[in-house]
Amino acid sequence: MNTKGLDDAVDSMLEMFIFETNQNLEQLEQITIQSEKNGAFSGEEINDIFRIMHTIKGSSAMMEALEVTALAHAVEDIFFYVREKKPEKLDCSILTDLVLNAADFIKTEIDKMEAGEKTDAIAADLIESTSAFLLQLKQINGEQPAKITLPVKPKPIQASTQKLSSYIDLDEPVNVFQAKITYKDHCEMENIRAYTLINNVKGIVGELHYLPDNILEDDESANIIRKNGFNICFTTSKEYDEISVLLNRTIFLKELELEQLTDVTECSYWPKKEMLPKKALPEQIIAKGEEREINHPSMISVNVTKLDILMDLVGELVISEAMVTENPDLQGLDLDNFYKAARQLKKISTELQDGVMSIRMVPLSGTFQKMNRIVRDMSKKLNKQAELVLVGEETEVDKNVIEHISDPLMHLIRNSLDHGIELPEDRKKAGKNPVGKITLEAKNAGNEVIINIVDDGQGLNKEKILKKAKENQLLYKNESDFTDKEIYSFIFSPGLSTNEKVTEFSGRGVGMDVVMKNINAVGGNIIVNSEPGKGSMITLKIPLTLAIITGMTIKVGQSRYTIPIMSIRESFKPSLDNILVDPNGNEMIMVRGKCYSIMRLHQLYNIVGAVTDFNDGIMIMIETEKTTIGLFADQLIGQQQIVVKPIPAYIKNISKTQGVTGCTLLGDGNISLILDAVGIVNRV
Amino acid sequence: MKKVLIVDDAAFVRFAMKNMLEKNGYEVVGEAPDGSTAILQYKELQPDFVTMDITMPGMNGIETLKEIKKFDPNAVIVMVSAMGHENFVKEAVLNGAVYFLVKPIKEENLIEVLSKIIES
Repeated sequence: MNTKGLDDAVDSMLEMFIFETNQNLEQLEQITIQSEKNGAFSGEEINDIFRIMHTIKGSSAMMEALEVTALAHAVEDIFFYVREKKPEKLDCSILTDLVLNAADFIKTEIDKMEAGEKTDAIAADLIESTSAFLLQLKQINGEQPAKITLPVKPKPIQASTQKLSSYIDLDEPVNVFQAKITYKDHCEMENIRAYTLINNVKGIVGELHYLPDNILEDDESANIIRKNGFNICFTTSKEYDEISVLLNRTIFLKELELEQLTDVTECSYWPKKEMLPKKALPEQIIAKGEEREINHPSMISVNVTKLDILMDLVGELVISEAMVTENPDLQGLDLDNFYKAARQLKKISTELQDGVMSIRMVPLSGTFQKMNRIVRDMSKKLNKQAELVLVGEETEVDKNVIEHISDPLMHLIRNSLDHGIELPEDRKKAGKNPVGKITLEAKNAGNEVIINIVDDGQGLNKEKILKKAKENQLLYKNESDFTDKEIYSFIFSPGLSTNEKVTEFSGRGVGMDVVMKNINAVGGNIIVNSEPGKGSMITLKIPLTLAIITGMTIKVGQSRYTIPIMSIRESFKPSLDNILVDPNGNEMIMVRGKCYSIMRLHQLYNIVGAVTDFNDGIMIMIETEKTTIGLFADQLIGQQQIVVKPIPAYIKNISKTQGVTGCTLLGDGNISLILDAVGIVNRV
Repeated sequence: MKKVLIVDDAAFVRFAMKNMLEKNGYEVVGEAPDGSTAILQYKELQPDFVTMDITMPGMNGIETLKEIKKFDPNAVIVMVSAMGHENFVKEAVLNGAVYFLVKPIKEENLIEVLSKIIES
């Protein structure tokens, strides 16, 4: 195998390890938090945690992440004990902390591996506290402190009396051999290895005795074998050579000393006279795993890049289809059969598009579940009490979108807990349930997903926000003209935190402005509502997918632009009566008694030959959470599904691309730039 | 080419072992994530070897071993166990496992065990 192949194998192994371990950790976290809520670990949960730790231990050992292995082992030990002994006194809260801390440590290390960094963190402290917990657990549950395993002296010579009854060999066993077998260092479980050896020679030996004789009953025998080797003496009809070959096949053999004796009396541990055989079978030790239905839907995991490629191809297909069916050459021709076939093609390509999209759809439950952990950790640290209610976790969104909203959600939840939910005493005083409630709710609404973060805390403080905004010179109009909604949206401005002190959770540089940025990056919107004393509600409107959107294509001069339908409030032929011009020359339009700024697209992008007279063009009102403006263009071309493509880097470098998020190919082969409402509004 | 069936609930371990085996000229004819699948696959594929993880959800490795042995008393099953699970390994060996491997599995150990088993 060449090195490249080897590297690939290592890479895909690492990828798989990371994927699987992350999945396990996620599950672990959920189980742990769930059991903490219930105040106890159920049998099944204990089993699951045990198994997860066991798997992580095994896999990480293979990846040579030794600290992770050791830590997973320590946690596994606790759950092994809990599973087997079912101790009555078990502090679930401490145990949960231990498990979560361990999970965090492992997660950090896995992330480092993923980033290609060295995994060098030391888990000694964690392992120590984990082991200490186990020791304490054993003590308070009335067990003797763990025995310290001293190197055990070989027991006084008392040979095995096991006589193997199966005589497969009919020849008279005349030869006597004595052998000493040494196993390779660190091969572990030498006693069981010795037992398999005895199993293997059973068929050809007459009488057999070995030392140490208690290989199955006592695991200490492994130490003795490690030190003194495994001694066997047997009678057989076979010759020296055959025996030598047989014993040399012993797996993990380091050294074999074999000698032929003339008589069994030469062997020091051969019993002097026949004794009754001991029962060598150990008791059934295995606790039966609880009966659980095994019902794995058959799944495969696919690299996201492959899906992206597929998505791209389907996008190209949709465009090519439009290029064929809307081909200018077809104009004026009467082609009934052609259009019939074209409709069929359209039907299939739409289904294909839906199919590919559905592959990329992932339920929000994973992201939502993560929030449990945040609420738990934060309420503990802040001495607050809060419960998180999840609604509509099964709502599905595009994988790309999920990646973008996970961090903002986390931040918004933190914010609700930190600023919204009051301390239990204060809540009691205000006549509220001391346990605060945060609801995270997702639902589908057409082409969008709506996510609400609702808390029953103290609500936003309008005066404070306004004061801060003033200090930061963010006010863009008269203070008294601001609506509540506009004031609340200030919390997403950079550098605005009404919290004086920097806590562990807020004020770490990742502010609400980043939340806004992330949500805008996926074409989403944030709306804030709040009622003093009652709580606040933050609503995220997220497009279902980033790859294919519904857009309105418009024409300005010879150029085409596409505006996402989500951003358009209305469009109409403006009448000159409604156009106002302020003393600075800024144009504005009056719509139903309200005044909005006008942005002429041909001015923004310096387009020659475009319609300049309001009477001949069209006004499109675009809406963002901040404000609404009128966009002036030549004409509407039509609404259609478009495939979003990123803008090529060399165009991106030109500053004029502000307000453009991507581009798309139209059916007639023209390129259309996709306008970003937020970017354009910022240019006003 | 000797046919191997890998039984382990961790996809990663299956993947790693498959790599090791295929590099050394073994044919991995099946991979099973749990005991019941393993039994079905054993009956269908008739592998020369089975590597069997002990700790698995649902039916554990030893129960699976017993089932396979019932069907084919000559089945060659190598147990795969974590360090410190002597008791399980013992039980497995008493129930007819040919040999066992201790995790983390190293390529040379895996190959040594299998090739020694072929010799005898």
